[in-house]
Amino acid sequence: MSTEFAAPVAPDGLLDRLGAAAKAGGADAVEITLLGRAGEYTRFAGGRVHQPQDILETQYSVRAIVDGHAARAAVGTVNGLDEAVRRATTAARAMAHGDHGNATVATPAAAQDVVLWHDDTAAFDAAQRAQAAGRTMREAEKAGGHAAGMFGRALTQIAVVTSTGVAHHALATEAIGSLTATVGDGTSHWIDLHRSAAALDLASSVDRTIAEAVAGQNRIPVPDGRYTIVLGPQAAGELLGFLEDAGFSGELAAAKVGLVAQRAGDRVASPLVTVADDALATVGLPIGFDMEGTPKRRVPLLTNGVVGEAVTNLATAKALGTASTGHAHIAREEVPTPVAANIVMDAGDATEAELIAGVERGIYVQRFWYTRLVDRLTATITGVSRDGCFLIEDGKLAQPVAGARFTHSILDFLSTVDGVGAARRSQPVMNVWNGSVTAPALRGHGFRFGSAKIEEN
Amino acid sequence: MTAHEWGALADDAYARRVLESALDTVDGRVQYADARLIECEELRSYAQLGADPDERIEQNVGIGVRVLVDGQWGFAARPLAADTDAAAAARQAHASAVALAGSGKRVELPPREPASGRYETEVAQDPFAVDTAARHELLAAWLGAASTPAEVAAAQAGVNAKRQHRHFADTEGSRQHQHLLETGAMLVVTAAGHGDVQRRSYPNSFHGNTAGAGWEYLASLAMQENAARVGQEAVALLTAPAAPRGYADVVIGAQQVSLQIHESSGHALELDRILGDEANYAGTSFIQASDVGTLRYGSDAVTIASDPTRPGTRGSFAFDDEGTPARRAALIDRGIVRNTLSTRDSAARSGLALTGAARSDGWAYLPVCFSTHVYLEPGDGGSLDELLDRMGDGYYIDDNRSWSIDNQRLNFQFGTEVAYEVKKGRRGRLLKNFSYGGVTPQFWGSVEAVAGPSEFRAFGYPCGKGEPKQWGFLSHGASPMLVRDLRIGVA
Repeated sequence: MSTEFAAPVAPDGLLDRLGAAAKAGGADAVEITLLGRAGEYTRFAGGRVHQPQDILETQYSVRAIVDGHAARAAVGTVNGLDEAVRRATTAARAMAHGDHGNATVATPAAAQDVVLWHDDTAAFDAAQRAQAAGRTMREAEKAGGHAAGMFGRALTQIAVVTSTGVAHHALATEAIGSLTATVGDGTSHWIDLHRSAAALDLASSVDRTIAEAVAGQNRIPVPDGRYTIVLGPQAAGELLGFLEDAGFSGELAAAKVGLVAQRAGDRVASPLVTVADDALATVGLPIGFDMEGTPKRRVPLLTNGVVGEAVTNLATAKALGTASTGHAHIAREEVPTPVAANIVMDAGDATEAELIAGVERGIYVQRFWYTRLVDRLTATITGVSRDGCFLIEDGKLAQPVAGARFTHSILDFLSTVDGVGAARRSQPVMNVWNGSVTAPALRGHGFRFGSAKIEEN
Repeated sequence: MTAHEWGALADDAYARRVLESALDTVDGRVQYADARLIECEELRSYAQLGADPDERIEQNVGIGVRVLVDGQWGFAARPLAADTDAAAAARQAHASAVALAGSGKRVELPPREPASGRYETEVAQDPFAVDTAARHELLAAWLGAASTPAEVAAAQAGVNAKRQHRHFADTEGSRQHQHLLETGAMLVVTAAGHGDVQRRSYPNSFHGNTAGAGWEYLASLAMQENAARVGQEAVALLTAPAAPRGYADVVIGAQQVSLQIHESSGHALELDRILGDEANYAGTSFIQASDVGTLRYGSDAVTIASDPTRPGTRGSFAFDDEGTPARRAALIDRGIVRNTLSTRDSAARSGLALTGAARSDGWAYLPVCFSTHVYLEPGDGGSLDELLDRMGDGYYIDDNRSWSIDNQRLNFQFGTEVAYEVKKGRRGRLLKNFSYGGVTPQFWGSVEAVAGPSEFRAFGYPCGKGEPKQWGFLSHGASPMLVRDLRIGVA
């Protein structure tokens, strides 16, 4: 059954409607941001599609500014928009006590065109997804195991209008696939997302993942120690997601904490490591502008290992005396803060097999799990390896290994990188709207598995 | 006017009509259907050192309809902009179930007696009636107290409130109307200097603390005096000695115990994880369905229960999000696994008891197994001082700094913001960068004693699960507990 794949809010006349509301509030300036998402997800496990979901969500968020003080009011449908403008204006007025605040809205500027629509994603409907889920579960069963995963498509919509003339609208397709195959004690995981469903290469990704689970049986523990490791794209992307915590956010830079504040221009990683926040790239989830209506630009985080810039929104850019890079974000239950939402690492030229071939003894890690910052100063994180991990011996994958805890500095790891893969994959960033990290496979050295040694004390 | 008289869905009779219009749309074509109609409004005010304050209020209203057709689930959710949206959601849910006909194992729900009723959070002072300027004056005062030391590089203070009308109806005849309200506060201080960066937080280290109560809850937190304390402690940590490595006896404070419960008890006991439904994302569990009733999870001192009927917490309610009446269930009873956190689907498939833990993030997401108010029963350990005295030499730690656990909820590593050396039962030096690790059943098996009811505190948490990820809002409570021979200094 093919289902309608329509924009969360009809685009015709949308900017005019938002513009009229923005100008009617009586505040010094008003910004209205529509975030919409029509998502369909076919989630499967245990031999069935256990969670088919068809979710439409819209939010109209109004930011009103009075005497430099800002307040926001959001509603779920356009019916309440004018009331939201009134509420935000009233709250902003209540916050203005005679002193002048710093809040502003974006200056009108053209956003760069990026390719957002793919017909193949529009065609990735419930019937296709159910068929793919069924085939995946059957293939896993044939291999003696089982599969759990999710295939989905979505339409993401953003519109930003200000009373000062900003007017942007974007409607973007999104396709996502993820799978965990389990055979005996062997597991393998795959995740990828793209504006285009075809880019997921779904059938071969599923087949490869099941084959890896078969190969991953009879796992042995990882002895504590330091290893040369080859990280698959997902594990590598997980580490890159922590760069922001190391000081690439405008909030930390303004507080004079972290790498950009303390070590801008210094080399902290291997020359092979070039990472940017780049929402204009063709991978991940490109988008042309942020929630404040600022056109996004590529922000170099590490260029050949050298510390670059922080991502900013209007407020942190003002504190730093720069222009916003277009990274405004509001996470749920958190204060608004700029976020590196589209992290992309430059690819190298090696295959994973070539990276592995250069390792006499080490570990291949497909997926990390539950990674958390331990120490901001050293960018040390902890977590566990989870699926698809193998010992490497004499340049080849050898015995499968069980998940193991690690605690290691991502900067220490990135400083040892001596091999970068050519193929990249993308994954979502938790709690970040339209967030993605795109990474290649990486090879580095001295990576610490196991807890800190008691005898080191 | 009460704190629950607001918005479009305060009227139960109106909400019931909307729900029934959705159910009528699929009448006769489903084995089962339920609909949740929810209006939510959330207020957040923040103040930050060196930045403008932020104020936001967010409202949404929508309907989520779940159907079971020929053994296959279907689900659709829509914002409620027009009268026709409820029926549209029901039609789409039906269509998505029909699209799966014959595609996999069938779901059969055992019949359930209908349960209807109304529930309201007790509120003394409506947080939404507090003046905007007054809220920000309060935040400015907290921020001022926290940031007095020069080494404070960043600080955030915030207050939050959320009110919800949650209406439920199903084809078995249940009609439920819950009017919830919660209020919370947060403070985080970051100090930098002496070549280090340290943070302190209050009253909870993760998004502050939120209770099922009104503005009166803030008075119980004594934010002003605690703001000054955590500011000073953040600075003191910069020059504090690092915590050692090895094995030691440790008294863990209530906040850190609450997170330990969340990660290693609550998640491990979610029945959908146990059955493999979350294998692709959130993970599985080291506990198997067949372990219920026999597995030794902890020492005799450890009794952990789920009880959403206890008022005043972020996990308090009268009915879960698929209409099961709330009740107390002992999850771990004197160290033995007795129950799981279950939904109708997972309970039916496993043959285990239904404990009413189906919860969803508003109207837009499917109910899944989440914690409710899951807490460690207070023990006979007396006061915190008595517990320290019982320990003798060791460490007292509290307030989570970092947390990580594997996908089976077995191998964990936590760090705390503060640690104090304890000698002969007396707190001594402040230490920084304390961490500990272990394996869940061994850890809980090493709990020698739990402090008494006078030390019990509840903490409201957000939690993430599912694909697409949804948030759960829940509560964990604990008194401090004494753990023997814990591996410390693992980070």
